[in-house]
Amino acid sequence: MRDTVAPPLCQADSRARDPETAAAELAAALRHPHLGLVLFFCSAEYPLAALGEALTAAFGEVPVAGCTTAGEITTEGYGRGRVVAIGFDARHFAVSLGLVTDLEAFDLVQAQRLCDDLLADCRRHALAPIAEQTFVMTLLDGLSSREEQVLATLDAALGSIPSFGGSAGDDNHLAHTHVFCEGRFHGEAAVVVAVNTRLPFEVFSTHHLRPRVEKLVVTRADRERRRVLELNGVPAVEAYARLVGLAPEALDAGVFARHPLAVRIGEDYFVRSIQRVNADGSLSFYCAVETGIVLTAMTPAPILEDLATTLDALASRLGPPSLIIGCDCFLRRLEIEALGQQQAASRLLRERRVIGFNTYGEQHHGRHINQTFTGVALGSARG
Amino acid sequence: MVDISTRPSPASPLDLPGVEPGQSQAALAEENARLRRICAALIERVESSAQPGTAPYAAFEHTVVLAEQVRERTETLRHTLEALREAKAEAEAANLSKSKFLAAVSHDLLQPLNAARLFSSALESQDLGEEPRRLVRHIGRSLQDVETLLGTLVDISRLDAGVLTPDRGSFAVGELLDVLAEEHRQLAAAEGLDFHYVPSRAVIDSDLTLLARVVRNLLGNAIRYTTSGRVLLGCRRRAEGLEIWVVDSGSGIAEDQQRTIFEEFRRGPAERGRLDRGLGLGLAIVERIAGLLDHPLGLVSRPGRGSRFSIRIPYGRAYPAPPPEVGAEAPLRGLTAWVIDNDPEICIGMRALLEGWGCDAVTATGVDDLERGERADLLIVDYHLGETDGLAVAARLRREWPELPVILITAYHDAELKAAARARGYGYLLKPVKPLRLKMAMLGLRRR
Repeated sequence: MRDTVAPPLCQADSRARDPETAAAELAAALRHPHLGLVLFFCSAEYPLAALGEALTAAFGEVPVAGCTTAGEITTEGYGRGRVVAIGFDARHFAVSLGLVTDLEAFDLVQAQRLCDDLLADCRRHALAPIAEQTFVMTLLDGLSSREEQVLATLDAALGSIPSFGGSAGDDNHLAHTHVFCEGRFHGEAAVVVAVNTRLPFEVFSTHHLRPRVEKLVVTRADRERRRVLELNGVPAVEAYARLVGLAPEALDAGVFARHPLAVRIGEDYFVRSIQRVNADGSLSFYCAVETGIVLTAMTPAPILEDLATTLDALASRLGPPSLIIGCDCFLRRLEIEALGQQQAASRLLRERRVIGFNTYGEQHHGRHINQTFTGVALGSARG
Repeated sequence: MVDISTRPSPASPLDLPGVEPGQSQAALAEENARLRRICAALIERVESSAQPGTAPYAAFEHTVVLAEQVRERTETLRHTLEALREAKAEAEAANLSKSKFLAAVSHDLLQPLNAARLFSSALESQDLGEEPRRLVRHIGRSLQDVETLLGTLVDISRLDAGVLTPDRGSFAVGELLDVLAEEHRQLAAAEGLDFHYVPSRAVIDSDLTLLARVVRNLLGNAIRYTTSGRVLLGCRRRAEGLEIWVVDSGSGIAEDQQRTIFEEFRRGPAERGRLDRGLGLGLAIVERIAGLLDHPLGLVSRPGRGSRFSIRIPYGRAYPAPPPEVGAEAPLRGLTAWVIDNDPEICIGMRALLEGWGCDAVTATGVDDLERGERADLLIVDYHLGETDGLAVAARLRREWPELPVILITAYHDAELKAAARARGYGYLLKPVKPLRLKMAMLGLRRR
């Protein structure tokens, strides 16, 4: 029987465009009697309803969670238009899933209840102490504008349990992003996955951006729509275009990727990524903005070097990882593509056993962050 | 990265890159207006940041700051905990080594003492004068007392060192108490006390030797601290277990001392004016043994009236427990069972067996062939089904009938499969299926 030899984590991906075929390919690679959870990331190009049905049919009683992407990290490195999945073996992972459909109404009471339920569920099958050996992954609808509050609330309820995650993407169309749970795709929703395991693991986040001298003060913002109308007292587009030395018409995602802005809190810089230029001369962001915050112009350091250093450090602490689940900002991927380093990036991701997706924002310990590589590294079974 | 600033350094971080500051009145006014706007925005931000806001950016900022604080405090806490853990380990190690040392010393002392007693009894049998004989007898009795005291010390240090493990079993309480009653009846009579013993036929579950030590200490104390009146040994049946009572009409213990008398080296005031040779370890031993055996102690006492010590022991089993009633057919009668096995012969065999027990059996060689009625009480499914497997079939049927009890049958043992079945709450049986085991499994699932 194959189940006795199955590793704790299996991964699979499919290029098939037909949902049934894609689901069948994943099932063929992942199914075994002890499969406890399937986590998948799929291109938003799939007919989602059909894909959802096909996955449910293919995996039966096994819980399935996932989201749409702005690109996938597959067993071969970066991919597009695909679906990639990770299978968790129930003998190594006690898993519990939660779905939040009303993000507006998600308050601390609900968060507490959700976390209690998730952890109680985990505890029933717990394989290791809950407090030390559990992490939580969040998948959010990346265009919901509610990430900050939901995450801050969830983090407060989770206490010391580390959490990370990514915001779903839609191949840079900025139209419809979805998360998957309980057998179908949902918009305006969040999926919360609690994982308890004996395997050593570490939740991490890294970015390769360094501060420059220039500061941009947000002098007018529309916080509801995450828009910055003015920077340093002039229209936001004008100020940003001058900063990067380009005409306003030339601003696009590639420029945003190479010239990010960040807020400094304490010693750390947190990138606030620009989503797009609006007709009224304002800039839309992927995360919360506010009048009076000070944005620091950032400049990129070598991106793959930074990632390799981070992954090396993880491997030295945990031993060779059996898998890394990566939430990789799509702006990083744009930068890598602009630098012509896709192949080197794919090689690095493949060699370090990264599976994941390109996000519209990452989550780390309850913080909604941008332009980072955030995830969990799972070590190998001890003895 | 190309430095895109065209402005000569040093520049203000707030200058507009690419714009040379004009020196005209109008240009300065414009720059002034711009800086005012920046100031206004910063003022707004600074002033609102003190408010506990629910705004999105504030939530983010708050989480970042909080995370840093939590990280720092967690770090401090971890250091403190580590230090505490180390200190505790050291203290435990020190305590353990003290107990071991005491046990070793006591044991080493017993050896020469034993020899001294032998010599003194040898001396006693010599032809001595009356006075020397009396002295030798005194020496002998003193040595015996020292031996008893050392024995007590050994006991308590062994208890503390955790080297004493109880050997529990069922026995009639009479086996224990009859002997102790006989021993103490004479001791009580020597002190001029009445001794009453009420026998019991109860069967208890305990360690005979350790429990004897407890009752002996309690009786010894009762006699020691009672000047006149009586001492009673008896039992009382309670729902939770049997209580052995030792009651005396002695001096009693004040309420504020009823806790401390169980501590080491505590002694009640010697009543009799005689030399009290105890070390005050009797009740300390009683408490440790009771804790070790998990037998609750009780004490009711009134100064001047007397005391009642009790210890509660769980009931034992007088006879081996009767086997579960697997012979009775009734519990399975009328039960509808689905049987899926890709071997038609097995289907026939199972049907015959199940119908023999009064069950309705619906058999099929595959899940698609199963004639499902409204419901079934039980699914018996083979793991090896060719294309699919029993777990998948059970999962599929449980989607329609979530509570359906399942018994998984497999031809060869696989620990992983067994665990998988367990995890799902399924029964798990090996082929060839033994009818009695199947029936037990069915009864077990049905009872749930």
